[in-house]
Amino acid sequence: MECHLSRLTDIGIRIEPPARTGGLGGGVAAVLSELVSMLERVALGGKPATIDLRSLPMSPQDRIELQQTLGRGEVQATLTADGVSTLQETGVSGVWWIEHRDRHGELIAELIEVAAIPQILEVSSDEMIASAQALRERLSISHEAPVKTDHATLS
Amino acid sequence: MQPLVDNVAVGEMLRLHGISRRGFIKFCTAAASAMALPPWMGPAMAQQLQNAPRPSVIYLSFQECTGCFESFTRSFAPTIESLIFNVISLDYDDTLMAAAGDAAESALAKAMHDNFGKYVLIIDGSVPTGAGGGYCTAGGKSAVDTLRDAAKGAAAIICVGTCSAFGGIPFADPNPTDAWPISAIISDKPIINVSGCPPIPEVITGTLLQYVTTGKVPDLDEHLRPKAFFGTTIHDRCYRRPFYDQGKFAKTFDDEGARNGWCLYELGCKGPTTYNACATTKWNGGTSFPIESGHGCIGCSEPGFWDKGSLYSPLSATDWGKAGESSPRQVLELAAGAIAGGAVLGLASAGSGRLRQYRSEHPLDSEPKDS
Repeated sequence: MECHLSRLTDIGIRIEPPARTGGLGGGVAAVLSELVSMLERVALGGKPATIDLRSLPMSPQDRIELQQTLGRGEVQATLTADGVSTLQETGVSGVWWIEHRDRHGELIAELIEVAAIPQILEVSSDEMIASAQALRERLSISHEAPVKTDHATLS
Repeated sequence: MQPLVDNVAVGEMLRLHGISRRGFIKFCTAAASAMALPPWMGPAMAQQLQNAPRPSVIYLSFQECTGCFESFTRSFAPTIESLIFNVISLDYDDTLMAAAGDAAESALAKAMHDNFGKYVLIIDGSVPTGAGGGYCTAGGKSAVDTLRDAAKGAAAIICVGTCSAFGGIPFADPNPTDAWPISAIISDKPIINVSGCPPIPEVITGTLLQYVTTGKVPDLDEHLRPKAFFGTTIHDRCYRRPFYDQGKFAKTFDDEGARNGWCLYELGCKGPTTYNACATTKWNGGTSFPIESGHGCIGCSEPGFWDKGSLYSPLSATDWGKAGESSPRQVLELAAGAIAGGAVLGLASAGSGRLRQYRSEHPLDSEPKDS
């Protein structure tokens, strides 16, 4: 018999979700409930909070359901530091879906962070002082070449 | 292999390699995720490592297939190159190093001398003690002698793979080389077992990074495995668990149940008695794990897994709650107690008869024979 399959993606896979009586899956509902409590805590001045998606035993179906429920928001940030990271605001303000990839494009961490701005984007005062010092030195050396390689863009 | 830069803290090494603070936070976030640590630990770890010195690491391979090292080099988070260049000083590894012969042996001796009492010793492979240790030698020295010498100056020993942790396949019946796990030979050093055949790459690098970060041996289970990775069974965290709870089982590998992704328990899955992180950390950069590919867990991270019968026989109810019962040290202790008390052991565990015989012929404080 002739085989027409040339790639793994040609193999059809059907994912049957566990039988449900309706509504969201248990894992998805638990994550959403936790997000509600995190949002309330952070809004009242609490520290930003994070859920590590890789630590949850979610089925592919649950993952899709969670993404669809949260939706996409207005802001997406791209961080280029030892690989590309995307920080996508979800349709729920203050809830960010973060994917960190390495230099080869492999997904190395996937998180949901509840914060006004994801912590990794913030710049510390130490860094600002170091930046001021670096700029001061550049002003005194006219042919100084730019050295900073990392950048984050907001769109 | 010489350290690239001696006595340089991790933060300084990062700057030398052009890695930014954000890049390092990302590295630590990924590592914390791989280690199943709380997400806030990533930034905290980055802060702590900034000023930490890079520890010397010596990697020795004994009776093994190099599968564990192959796994080690495929870690995505952290990557092996990130570890080697930034966080540790890998001073000896006979697979990676360019040096050979006397130059390689000199590098090992120098690393052991210069970092005595401080280095981390990583070992893969079991140690054959038969034929005077002659089944595994390098540079005219047996594995068992090399192990004893290298262990003297080690701050801790990380056993990578089921062979070094529990004896593995060489230790399986009939064990023609009289192979032993590291913990049966070295008893005066902290030992961390990272079992698996092979172990998950991120579990190897994550355990090493956790030790380097904290300077402490992590919380271990009764088989000396880090609880962060070996705290729950595959079954506990399996995405097919709802089908088990509903009583939906695949009966063959190509029936309707298999195609629907039902539970593989009746096809011999050892997930209920196997402690490992496959169901959450997964393999190949988090792509999938064996059950996700339609095959049951074979229990490779448990002691004596090779001698526990067919990989395709369903677990008996009597097996539940007995995961890893036959670790060599545990069996040694049981056997020693039974011999001392004149009792007859009825252990069905793999290797227990052999160990009983060994202990009955040797004083309780002796080491496995090396001559």
